[in-house]
Amino acid sequence: MDGQVDQESYDVLIVGGGLAGIRAAIAAAEMNPRLRIGMVSKVYPMRSHTVSAEGGAAAVMSKEDSFETHAFDTIKGSDYLADQDVVEAFVREAPLEVIQMEHWGCPWSRNPDGTIAVRPFGGMTTWRTCFAADKSGFHMLHTVFQTSLKYPQIRRHDEAFVTKLLVEDSRCVGVVAIDMRSGRFTALTAKSTILATGGLGRIYAFTTNGNICTGDGMALAYRAGVPLKDMEMVQFHPTGLPFTGILITEAVRGEGGYLLNREGERFLKRYVPNKMELGPRDIISRAMVTEFEAGRGFEGPHGLYMHLDVRHLGEAVIDRKLPFMRELGREFLGIDIVKDPIPVRPVQHYMMGGIDADISGLTPMPGLYAAGECANVGLNGGNRLGSNSLPECLVFGAAAGRAAADYASGARPVTSNPVDSMLRDETRRVESSFLEKKDGEERIGEIREDMQRSMDEGAGVYRTKEGITELIKRLDSFRERFQKIRLYDSSRTFNTELTSALELDFMLDVAETVAHSALAREESRGAHARRDFPDRHDEKFLKHTLAHATDGAPRLEYSDVTITHFQPQARSY
Amino acid sequence: MSTTWWARSWHYFWYVVREFTSLPLALWLLWFLVEIQRAQNGPKGYYPHSSTGFVVFSVIVLLFAVYHSVTFLGLAGVILHFEFLDRPVPSRLIVMSQFAIWLVASAVIAFVLVYFGR
Amino acid sequence: MTEKKITVRATRFDPDRDEKPRLQSYEIPFPDDSMVVLDALNFIKAHVDGSLSYRWSCRMGICGSCGMMVDGIPKLACNVFLRDYWPRSVTVEPLNNFPIVRDLVIDMGDFMHKLQSVKPWIIRKQELPLGAGEHRQTNEQIDGFRQFSQCINCMLCYAACPVYGLNHEFLGPAATALARRYNLDSRDQGLKQRLPVIADPEGVWECSFVGECSVVCPKGVDPAKAIQQTKLDTTMRFVLPYGNRE
Repeated sequence: MDGQVDQESYDVLIVGGGLAGIRAAIAAAEMNPRLRIGMVSKVYPMRSHTVSAEGGAAAVMSKEDSFETHAFDTIKGSDYLADQDVVEAFVREAPLEVIQMEHWGCPWSRNPDGTIAVRPFGGMTTWRTCFAADKSGFHMLHTVFQTSLKYPQIRRHDEAFVTKLLVEDSRCVGVVAIDMRSGRFTALTAKSTILATGGLGRIYAFTTNGNICTGDGMALAYRAGVPLKDMEMVQFHPTGLPFTGILITEAVRGEGGYLLNREGERFLKRYVPNKMELGPRDIISRAMVTEFEAGRGFEGPHGLYMHLDVRHLGEAVIDRKLPFMRELGREFLGIDIVKDPIPVRPVQHYMMGGIDADISGLTPMPGLYAAGECANVGLNGGNRLGSNSLPECLVFGAAAGRAAADYASGARPVTSNPVDSMLRDETRRVESSFLEKKDGEERIGEIREDMQRSMDEGAGVYRTKEGITELIKRLDSFRERFQKIRLYDSSRTFNTELTSALELDFMLDVAETVAHSALAREESRGAHARRDFPDRHDEKFLKHTLAHATDGAPRLEYSDVTITHFQPQARSY
Repeated sequence: MSTTWWARSWHYFWYVVREFTSLPLALWLLWFLVEIQRAQNGPKGYYPHSSTGFVVFSVIVLLFAVYHSVTFLGLAGVILHFEFLDRPVPSRLIVMSQFAIWLVASAVIAFVLVYFGR
Repeated sequence: MTEKKITVRATRFDPDRDEKPRLQSYEIPFPDDSMVVLDALNFIKAHVDGSLSYRWSCRMGICGSCGMMVDGIPKLACNVFLRDYWPRSVTVEPLNNFPIVRDLVIDMGDFMHKLQSVKPWIIRKQELPLGAGEHRQTNEQIDGFRQFSQCINCMLCYAACPVYGLNHEFLGPAATALARRYNLDSRDQGLKQRLPVIADPEGVWECSFVGECSVVCPKGVDPAKAIQQTKLDTTMRFVLPYGNRE
């Protein structure tokens, strides 16, 4: 069965329809209204995982706050792996983006005088987190998506799955995508391409991330020769619901919630006495695991957990500041957080690592940009502070949009001949490797579940050499099993088994970069905690890990961290 | 959409009943006009053989009308929103006021009809 | 001790091979009381029949992807507990009133078009410059439209609405609620631009207040209220000589 071939050309093409992607599209459209802008996403934009973000967006909004404090909090939070020039630019742009969102209709919660309110958040020395109740990501995504509808030059390809980047003369000239409705392979060519595909949480079994977070953009760039930076830096959020992994926002702690162990103790006083529940996520997650190992966790049918208690806040505060949390408790656990404590445990949540990109989103490949969670521009280093990632998407989404628009305005058009043959080759590759595989024995779902369990065990909150080495062995075996998959769905129409297989292919690649990078970093920094190397070693490892694709295991290189004003110190709270 | 969509759930069924009540109400109004025309000749000759039928039909239609009115007035709390002294008026209050107005209006009309009917 | 099992029947339809949709039965293990319909579908796809197609993502009732008919009622599959049906079987079908694409996947094109048609963005006569900071707005003013801003675009309301089922030109609940969200936002001045679409005969006036949309809405948006309030508002604007309700 042949899929028909097709080509569409754009000036700027954005892969991914979340907060960063849509923000980039609008920025490009505003920079040059005559540009043809394409946005391709494997789901309708309202489904992007931005929608589940809860806590808020940090920005310097008041005279009592300062750019220097926000920058220092972020850099210290990153365990000094952040590139400080990037952080300094970020903190200056974040307030403008918050105001821009407000102008576009985002319903930021307010002070009595009508100005945008702020709440405390983990690792922030001042109250600077703007919030839209506790559905900040939902409101921000719907705001930018609905706003994007007024730009006719932004043309969307909804439910089109990108399988490969098109590269000509070492320059990115677009993508190959499968239109899920028809099964047709299309080449979407562009003078500049922005990857904004989000995180990779689904390589783990226990994650807050939705089904679509499979590291697609990271794998696409990686295979095209772009390195992935700091892939060992995986964030575990302290408070996920057991079994489902549904996120309970840090704002619960920001509003005054307590974390209690089995003995009813606010155990964080032994780990982060000065910040308590508002310490940074990596330290709190490790504290919880340590308490579990000491036998002070609650035991439940779905593993060990702690109590997150907000009963002392009262119904009025909860209904005003945390209504979504009350809803989640009621709908998924049958509890009322006004009267019951919330069971929580550390859960994979965010990826600090990602596509190597600079302050304007440019990757080492001309014509290719990256923004949002899939990119690593150097903002978050070894650990991200809560409420920095929503403004990250806005600031660097806009930056990438402008840079890509600028590049496209001067770039030469993409020639169609090589694209035609690249499209045919990619169509052939997917058809023969997946659709036509009738004699394999392995099920996609089973390899995926095995990979997820292995990642939880080998690349979790605490890592060891033995654990990671075993993980790498298993990942290699999963790769072999993947060669023998069998697809049971041979339809052209909305074949989600094919897209699951393509996603698993991507996930095995990025999982490998996580494992190898984690093995090589023989220190503990930020979210990467090695039991066998419990200390930080700046002399050797104050560097970014860069993983390059080869025919075998990833080749690792190291690059310098940019330090401007803040010399690395011991990190304690 | 299948032709029996309204049978799929109780909500749909009672909605169709509510909408349907307009038909008997319209028929009753026509019959009522006929009766008025008949009554032109004064009370002496006005006990036509159809009176029992008319009374029975009127009772049935009254039930329909009450059902329709109750559902309609109940919705006032959903549709109308007022603020009094900077706080929203609770919808229960709005609904109760609608029923109160209805009862008062019914009492007034009943009184007028009976008084002038004598 | 025998393992608990549950039977799930799901619609199957491949336009390349099937003339019409049919139901396929799957019996799967039911080991955990916390399992939802989505978990059942995921189990089937991973271990029993990889060709079952459906949309899902967040599994926490916020992305709006997994709207389906569960035993004839539109629901989010991620928030329907199997324990409420066991030991009976559960029947899962694609959302009513939308064309079926494949198995449990429906065509969202009409919905997306309607969403865009109400101009769901802030419209102002004069844009405030960024440097001027935020529009002043109070939490009470946000409370005025907050409920209508909670829509996750899951389309359960369109599946529940018999009027939409009988007439696809009807603007429908979610689109009207979204229009009202912007019309009530103190920062917006775009009511006039939205009127042609919402005050159209096939806009709010097609609604005869069945009310089922608000019953099935998983986020408490109450689109029925939005539509009836819009009817009242647009009428008052028309009737009052100095119709200034913005």
